[in-house]
Amino acid sequence: MSRIGVFVCHCGENISRTVDVERVAEAARGLFGVAYATDYKYMCSDPGQTLLKKAVVEHNLDGVVVAACSPRMHEKTFRKAVQSVGLNPYLCEMANIREHCSWVHEDREEATAKAIDIATMLVERVRRNKQLAPITVPVTKRALVIGGGIAGIQAALDIADCGHQVVLVEREPSIGGHMAQLSETFPTLDCSQCILTPKMVDVANHPNITLHTYSEIEQVDGYIGNFAVKIRKKARSVDMSKCTGCGVCVSKCPQKKIPNAFDRNLGTRSAIYVPFPQAVPNTPVIDRENCTWFQSGKCGVCAKVCGPGAIDYTQQDEFIVESVGAIIVATGFKLYDISEKPKGSPIKGYGEFGHGKIPDVIDGLTFERLASASGPTGGKILRPSDGKEPKAVVFIQCVGSRAREKGISYCSKICCMYTAKHTMLYKHKVHDGQAYVFFMDARTPGKGYDEFWRRSIEQEEAVYIRGMVSRLYQKGDKVVVMGSDIAVGIQVEIEADLVVLATAVQPREGADLLAQKLGISYDQYHFYSEAHAKLRPVECATAGIYLAGACQGPKDIPDSVSQASAAAAKVLTLFSKEQLEREPIVATVNEHLCVGCLACKKVCPYGAVEEKELRDRQGNLLKTVAWVNPGVCAGCGTCQATCPSKSVELDGYTDEQIIAQIEAL
Amino acid sequence: MTPGKPVLSYSYYPGCSLHASAKEYDESTRELFRVLKIGLKEVPDWCCCGATPAHNVDELLSLALCAKNLVLAEQVEGDVAVACASCFSRLKTAQHRLGEDEEKRRQVEYAIESPFDKSKPIKHLLEILAEDFGLEQLAAAVKKPLTGLKVACYYGCLLTRPPGVPELDCVEAPTIMERVIGAVGAETVEWTHRLECCGANFTLSRPGVVIKLAGDILASAREAGADCVMVACPLCHGNLDMRQQEIEEVTGRRFALPIFYMTQLLGLAAGVPSTRLGLDSMIVDPLPLLKKKNLL
Repeated sequence: MSRIGVFVCHCGENISRTVDVERVAEAARGLFGVAYATDYKYMCSDPGQTLLKKAVVEHNLDGVVVAACSPRMHEKTFRKAVQSVGLNPYLCEMANIREHCSWVHEDREEATAKAIDIATMLVERVRRNKQLAPITVPVTKRALVIGGGIAGIQAALDIADCGHQVVLVEREPSIGGHMAQLSETFPTLDCSQCILTPKMVDVANHPNITLHTYSEIEQVDGYIGNFAVKIRKKARSVDMSKCTGCGVCVSKCPQKKIPNAFDRNLGTRSAIYVPFPQAVPNTPVIDRENCTWFQSGKCGVCAKVCGPGAIDYTQQDEFIVESVGAIIVATGFKLYDISEKPKGSPIKGYGEFGHGKIPDVIDGLTFERLASASGPTGGKILRPSDGKEPKAVVFIQCVGSRAREKGISYCSKICCMYTAKHTMLYKHKVHDGQAYVFFMDARTPGKGYDEFWRRSIEQEEAVYIRGMVSRLYQKGDKVVVMGSDIAVGIQVEIEADLVVLATAVQPREGADLLAQKLGISYDQYHFYSEAHAKLRPVECATAGIYLAGACQGPKDIPDSVSQASAAAAKVLTLFSKEQLEREPIVATVNEHLCVGCLACKKVCPYGAVEEKELRDRQGNLLKTVAWVNPGVCAGCGTCQATCPSKSVELDGYTDEQIIAQIEAL
Repeated sequence: MTPGKPVLSYSYYPGCSLHASAKEYDESTRELFRVLKIGLKEVPDWCCCGATPAHNVDELLSLALCAKNLVLAEQVEGDVAVACASCFSRLKTAQHRLGEDEEKRRQVEYAIESPFDKSKPIKHLLEILAEDFGLEQLAAAVKKPLTGLKVACYYGCLLTRPPGVPELDCVEAPTIMERVIGAVGAETVEWTHRLECCGANFTLSRPGVVIKLAGDILASAREAGADCVMVACPLCHGNLDMRQQEIEEVTGRRFALPIFYMTQLLGLAAGVPSTRLGLDSMIVDPLPLLKKKNLL
């Protein structure tokens, strides 16, 4: 005979407005096995919890049902409360009469009847609950950071500085990400590379950081505390242990006409190259698709001129497996491009802006390279078509962003600020030039941001025109900008020398594929999803995986760095424990009943089921059965539903419990 | 026995303009379809689609007029064929709106006293020629290729817009007109004002607007080296053709650009006798150009 307590919560008015909570408590008192039932305004409050604890002791309760909100909300709270008075926490369950009842119904009578049903079902379930103990798994105190932009760099340094090993994986030949491409940064106009490169060098020199550049994630196995990550180290064709970074190979390479992607294809580079002068590591890589040796077997100049003999044309992609306990994903963003998109694609291009075919229509990142001292023009603002200095530059904001008809409805967040910065950089370099900005709204919420934007108008004399641009076309050597000024209600036509588009921020290509490898979720645009928008903004719903930077949503540098440090703090919290406690809601196999068909192994999405051989004392094989690794099992119950002999049960959700709940209806 | 290609046949909604100011569009459309052996049967008892005035004063009226015509169009077999860009836009808009708004559809059904079925496809002549009939077939039907004729294809506002409604081609950078006229041998020019507004109905209330906008369009076509402009809209035609002389007087520029309906040029290429294409009703005389290019 059980002695169960039922505690019905009003949740202020959230529940009591539609559910007669006193009647629910009254009905519960009459249920078989219930020793005590009451209602209270806020069960989760301190007095509410005290009331519950006192009742457990006074009435000698052996099970608790809290009829209140969703278990996702307060199951932990109440389980902790009952544990503090000596009851096994897994004997306490939530009956969700808020999200599942009061919030979705209007009729008080019906809602009350339903609340009683829900509470009754949970009482039946708790009567059959078993005492469970948390599972402990060891924690590998080593972190993986995917992406070597500013977010990845910051997260890696924070963890490494606390004495833990970090593996940093970067797809490109150098770390640095987009920040390395920027000229100056808002709102202080300090040089981007000057503040970034020291951090890049710190990464390279840190004893606790293992850096894998020109590498990609192949496969991810395991679970929180115990991941095994397979990494593909792409063939660099240069032996990193021998290369001294002298740069002779780069200067002697005869193939020099390859568009330089780092400079947004404005300049050129050689086939063996270092992406930019401050690259970390400063080891060149051979672009095999454009290398004469790899394409025709001739040349070999780099190998001949290399003193230490570091060039290795036979190098193959190498695969390594790293064991880590936590993963931070910081894969960053790319900029939307306005070119024609395939028919039926949800994201549309900008035919009205010439689909990217007008040479003097460029995007913001290209403008950064023009303004950068290390860029293709040495920091002079010269337009791509004829290398002339543009005297009238039109900046267009919200290209692709906040444009539902183009397939992207979100705000890219960084463009208002960087466009204001661009107008300043332009004015600082071309004193007699005029900058025009077409904008929908100026969104400048950040410390010192609005002041910065005002400065671009008041001191640098940028002309801001509220309205959008309907068309761009080439007319002679000018680009005609046809737009509207909605503040005045007129149509505007400007003959510009250069047009700069603030194109939308999108996740990096392949973000969805990486998410599938990691088992994390992403939204319709392929931005990674955080576990809770407000309260768990740097964690994934998948335990042990954290997010930093623009892969989660458009972010500027301060936000990316803050999030990276927050993600690092979460990883360090995990690493502060020797053992990790996991919920004991896992599947167990009844080895007497199991016939070893292993249907459960086939359906398990987590790879938690293994084969186990049962032998007698002489070592003769009796039979093969399934065994569930409790460290890997996520408690989804798929095996339980699949098992033909009903020999797999999920602790806390046994068939008997579920059937009893249904029968209670 | 191999099954032959199904014979194309359409339920033709000409609209008011094609029975009046744009008679030559109607005439050339019928002649072109006759020589291409595409069936075209006029919707019986059709009425005005409401054009610009109706939706400016009463949305229900504009939807009901279109719905009424679409119900009538069901009496003729085949998809609805539309020549006028404005009728096309209104009919497609109505079909789109009534498809997504159940409440509006019920109001309209009450107004027209008939159930409305949104399933019958509405197609512009361009779509019929480029997709249903096919560009290869069209090229094969050419009797007199328009070789050497430089055409500026003018879409105007309504053929492709608003996004998601006409779904004729890419909204802001369409190529369907160029593809169709290119198939019969004409040379198309790249120009800047293919999709700009001609001033439309302001031609009556504020002609100054039209002088400026249509003038920009003509100047742009001229600069691109076009011999003529091809349109698919009676109102655009009116503004570019009828107003051309006035624009020339006001701006002091000489354009001398004949403004053809697409079906006039296609008909010429497909071997329709030039006397049956309504060329004589054009204000800017096209005959000198056509003679010069040996197309008569």
